[in-house]
Parts: sequence; C-alpha cells; structure tokens
Amino acid sequence: MSTLTRTRLAWLAATAGSIYFAAPAPVRADDVPSNSARLGLYSVFYHVSADDLSGPYVPPGANIDAKNVDTLYAAYVRRLSSHFDVELALGYPPLQKTVGKGPATLGSVPYDGQVIATARWLAPTLLVEYMFLDEQSAWRPYVGVGVNYTTFYDRDSTAQGNAASGGPTRLSLTPSVGAAGTVGVAYHIANQWHAYASYSISKVSTDLSADTAGIIRTTHINFGPQALVVAVGYSF
Amino acid sequence: MFKLLTPLSMAMSAVLLCACGGSSPTATIAPSLAHGTLAVDPPFRIASLNAASFQAELAATGSGAQLLQITGPPRCGVDFYYVEFWTVGGAGETTESSGALMVPTGAAPACSGPRPLVLYAHGTNTDKALNIADVTNASNTEGVLIAAMFAAQGYIVVAPNYAGYDISTLGYHPYLNAAQQSGEMMDILTAARTALPKTFSAATSDSGKLFVTGYSQGGHVAMATQRALQAAGVAVTGAAGMSGPYALEAFGDAILFGNVDLGSTVFTPLLTTSYQKAYGNLYTAPSDVYSATYVSGIETLLPSATPLNTLFSSGLLPETALFDSTTPIVTVPNNPVLSAELTALLSVPGSANYPLPPTPQTPLFAAGFGSPYLLNNSYRVAYALDAASNPDGAVPTPKAGVPLAATAPVQPLRLAFYKNDLRNGAWAPNAPTLLCGGDADPTVFFSVNTGTMAAFWSPLVQAGLITVLDVNGSPAGPFAAIQTGFQESQAAQLAFYESAAGGSLSPAAAQQLIVEGYHTSVAPFCSAAARAFFSEL
Repeated sequence: MSTLTRTRLAWLAATAGSIYFAAPAPVRADDVPSNSARLGLYSVFYHVSADDLSGPYVPPGANIDAKNVDTLYAAYVRRLSSHFDVELALGYPPLQKTVGKGPATLGSVPYDGQVIATARWLAPTLLVEYMFLDEQSAWRPYVGVGVNYTTFYDRDSTAQGNAASGGPTRLSLTPSVGAAGTVGVAYHIANQWHAYASYSISKVSTDLSADTAGIIRTTHINFGPQALVVAVGYSF
Repeated sequence: MFKLLTPLSMAMSAVLLCACGGSSPTATIAPSLAHGTLAVDPPFRIASLNAASFQAELAATGSGAQLLQITGPPRCGVDFYYVEFWTVGGAGETTESSGALMVPTGAAPACSGPRPLVLYAHGTNTDKALNIADVTNASNTEGVLIAAMFAAQGYIVVAPNYAGYDISTLGYHPYLNAAQQSGEMMDILTAARTALPKTFSAATSDSGKLFVTGYSQGGHVAMATQRALQAAGVAVTGAAGMSGPYALEAFGDAILFGNVDLGSTVFTPLLTTSYQKAYGNLYTAPSDVYSATYVSGIETLLPSATPLNTLFSSGLLPETALFDSTTPIVTVPNNPVLSAELTALLSVPGSANYPLPPTPQTPLFAAGFGSPYLLNNSYRVAYALDAASNPDGAVPTPKAGVPLAATAPVQPLRLAFYKNDLRNGAWAPNAPTLLCGGDADPTVFFSVNTGTMAAFWSPLVQAGLITVLDVNGSPAGPFAAIQTGFQESQAAQLAFYESAAGGSLSPAAAQQLIVEGYHTSVAPFCSAAARAFFSEL
C-alpha cells in the first residue's frame, strides 16, 4: 500500500471516528432510507498476467505489466431489504500506466520497467450485497457479488512506448465484462452517515492491439485487480 | 424494480458519456499512389541498435564474426526503418513496394548530422518474403552486410526489396528490367528522403552526397540507376557496380552458346517472366520456351514462399540442367557449314562434338545440360540463329575496338537482353565509378560483363574515372589489402572444408564447394572496396 493511501486511510478513520463520538443515534427500521451515496478512496492493486506480445518484430518474452493506482471512489446504493443492497460502484477514471516487462532492451531501446502506455479506464461495478446483523447494529459486515464492466479510453502510447514499438502507435483495448466480489464492513457513524471499508476483486481482461504504421502486435491481458476502498456514505 | 432501475440507468448514462476518449494516432497512409510517394508516414522502425549492441549481435555468430573482420567494428548505431512506397511495375502497373532505410545514429561526428547516402540494390533472391530491412531475420544476410559495411560506418543506406517481393502485390518481379528497376530505385530514394526527417533518427540528415551500388542483379540495377539519375540531371557522387550482369546481351549469348552459369535455372524463369510482362512477345505460351516437365506454373514460380531447395527436390525446377543434353540439329537454309558450326556450338561442352578446347569451367558448363531440362531446344536454336546472324561485339569473340551490343536483334529474348544491356545508348558515367568482381565468378562472368563495360566506356570517359577491381587478381594498388583478404579467405575456406571440422572433404569436393560459394564470397570484399572508394569522394 502506498504512503499516500495509508495517509488517506488514517484521515478517513480519524474523520469517521470524530463523527461517531460526536453524535451516535440509533435508527428505527421503518425510518431506514432507501438510497445512499458513498464517496471515498479506491486503491487498486494489479496482479497482471498477460500473454507475451505477439506480432512482427517482437522478441521472445516481451510482456507488459500495470502500475497500481489510487483514485476517487463513488457509489450509489439502493436498499432492497433489511439485509440486501444493490451497489453501483465507480472510480474516477485514473490515468493507468502500463510498463514493459521482459527484456531490458528491445535492440538498444530500454523496455523493462519503462512506462510504455497510459490509458484511463471506467469500471462500473454492479453488486448485490448481503448485510449481516440487523440494521440497528453499529457494525455490519457484508459480502457482495456482481459484475464489472471496464472500458478503456484516452489510450496513448508514450514516447518510450513509441520508441519500443517502432513509431507512433495506436492502441485499442476491448471492453471487459467479468464477475466481481467484495467483502466489507459498514459502520454507522451518526444519523444518515456511515463509514465503509471493503476489499474487492474482479475479473478484468482485455485484448490489446497495438498498431504501429500498420504493424499489429497483440496480447491478451488479465489485470487481476484487487481494490481496497474506504468511504463514507450518506443515506437519504 | 422500476424504482431501482431508474437511478441505475441514470448513473450508467453518465458513465457512458464519460467514456468517450480515443487513442493516440499512428502513421498516416498516403492518399496518393504516385510513384515515389511514401505510403506509410512516418515509416516503421524495425530495430534500433547502438554500435556496441550491433557489434555484439554480429560477434555472436560465426558468419557475423567473419563479416566484422571485413567491415571493421561498428562506429555508429543503426536504426532500421521499413519504407513502404509506391512505384510502377514492368508494364507500368501501379504497385506498392517496400525496402529499407538504415540510419546511422550515435554521438560520434561520423554518425549524425549531414551524412552521405548509399542507394543499394540487392542481388537475386528467390524468397518472396524478402525484407532487407529486417535485421531480426537471420536469413537476411545481405541486409546485415550493408548495415555493417555502410550504415554502421556513417552512411545512410536506402535499399528496395523490389516490386514483386514482400508486400508488393505485383504478381511477378521485373527482374533485370533496367527501366523499371532504376525507376524503383529512384522512387525509394524519393520516399526515403521524405521519411528521414520524420523518423526517430532525425538528428541524422542527408548531406546530398549520393552513392549508388549493388551486388549481382543489384550490380545491374545500380548501374541502370546511375544511368537514369544521370539522364535526369541528378548528381551522383560515385557508383560501384559489383559482380553485375551489365552486358546482358553478351552474357545471354555466352550462356545460350553453352557457357551455362551457376544459377541459370533460377535466373531464366525470373528473366523470361519479367520480359514477357514488359514486352509481351517472348512467347505465345510458356510451352514455347519451357519443356513439358517444368512448364506448369513456371510463370509464377519465382519469387516463392517455398525454399529453393524444396522447389528443386519437388521437381518444379531443375537444379542445373538449363538445356537439353540432346544436341539440337541446326539448319541454316543454304548454309551447311554454318549449320554444322552452330550445331557443334550447341553441343554439350566437353563432349566429342564440342568445337572449343576444354577449360577449367568446362565441367561447370556441362552441368547445365541434362534431361529433364528447363529450356526447349527450339527456343535455344532460334536464339542461336539470331546471335549468329547479328553477333554481339563481345561474344563469342570480342571484336576489335569497342565491344558494342548487336543492333536490333529479332529473336524476342535476345531483343529483351539487348534492351536491358547497359551498353544500350551512348552513355558513360560522369562520376567516379568502381567496377568490382572476381574473375573466377561462375555465376556472373567477370570478363563478359565487367570487362566488356570497362572496354565499352574506355573511349568515352576521361582516364581514371573508371576503376576496375578483380578481387582475385594479384594484390596491387589501393585495394591490395582487399584482394589479399579475399584470396586468404578463399584459401582458409578450402582448408576448412578439407579439415575434420569441415567434413574432411576431398580436394575436388572442397573445390566444388568453393566454386559454388564463390559469387557470394566476393560480395563483402567488393562492398569493402566500394566503401573505400566512396570514402575518397
């Protein structure tokens, strides 16, 4: 976990704690609001597995990796019943950096560890969540399953990427649809306010195609993202 | 449910509105198909090697290490670009072609800034997928040779793959078509000059010094290009023809009269198809030229995706038997003496009827006869009759004075040779020109081609403008080290073949391999001579 993420987690914990100590109040079941919005931080950790790049003039073992990212988390949650919610989670599209992995150089061009491409992704995830304990509980663990859709845009090959690829390069990545799951805990802070922490995994895979002056290189990538979320929510 | 979906739908709509960005652009495709247009701009860089890594790559293989001894260690890195451009085929067809732009790189003064440009033409290659820019392909030995010899020493190198190869959709290769091939050389030069400033290697620029060279087929192409550039008023700084079939009519006459060169069964289909496409009169049907054994598919056989040895072993092409071992009977109306003379000349060299005394090349020539064979006797006889009635100035016996080509032959193949013979037209180089080869070359005969051109130009140019180098000659003059190097390498190779490591071959078998490899062995030494020649200009 990055220093930045740890700092944000500490801030969120302190903020949530101060609200809790200021004004705890039980909520009656028939007053429970149906909707809530959440805002927080998304720390995404990748466990990339990708086929070696294939296509003309690609040396054996040329592969790619992705750098972890932090971004803003936002979600809309609809209460279905006292134990079931449905959540549409989003992250503010971060600038995702893709790095070369494999040979130190391609010819004499540095490759391994170089940021060769950037892209922004938008990855809405729809989850049905089961909330344990009753709604009056201050702490409510929950689990959820659902589906993730990821699309990539603003796809750019960097100068290092262009040098490694052999020229200006157009990237395309197919959208991904895959299963998602989460475990988390909600904490009732006060009135309509809650704090949340969760750990999520999802299957995000894409077919990457890189077009450099008509020379096409491809690979299939499984990003294997895992995400830690800390957030606060307001019910209404 | 409706209550649930409505806010979700709104959220998803917002999501979809966000995801609207595209990707960074790649190269542009030229809308124009005009010849000389760079088709893909900027060109694709296949590889980028600095001097140290290029040297390491070469040193890693035995052949590369040998080449390093001739070229010297790289002084510069080299960026290898794949140039796609538009040109025209042998019958004026618009076609895309491709080739190499090799750019020296590095901090040394000899590796960047304004640098001289070498326009290079490669030798005969049967691999349709040939891409001389692709140094990652181990079979691209000629690409590596010119990269190490010229680009790594500070010369920008431009070399086409030729129409009919690689991405070109032309269904044949305009082989030894002087007009087409020189035009294509000029087209890739134009395209490469357009491309260079837009590459990663823009720190290297074209100084304006232009050298033209090529080996074997490329020797002919280079000389035709020199002639075409000169005719177009483009200044050529210097040129080097290397082991090329320049005096094509004389060379053709020598072969048709039985001096069958090594590789002739490969060259013949390439030549015949090329000239049939260009002139349309070589035959009514391929069976006019080719024997029934090989006629099927012969027009599209070469270049091929199939390895040459497989074509031989599959029975699609004879390995050496160009002519029928059964001697045709030539009948010249009302001339029994000439009839008998021609019949004897068309017999197998070394046979009882052959009129000329045996030479060291007689076994080689005799190997050009057999059964099955490639060319019909009737076609050969028609050619021989034309040659007899309208002889070339250099073959069979050089005439006194300038060895001019025959005037307007009538037999279509011979006429095609005449049109592409570089003695055609009263021209001579106006820039320093080196003619390099080996006098024992069994593939492209040295004296018939290099000797004939030198004699043809002799009265037309000022003394010293033409330099002739026989790498097999007695070492002397500015190229003595190159001559010594070639001859020592031949001796070392012969000794290797006779050693246990080389297979303990008999002297005769070892010598046979030397003969078979001779034409290829000359290439790096003539290239080194060309570089030395250019460096003085």
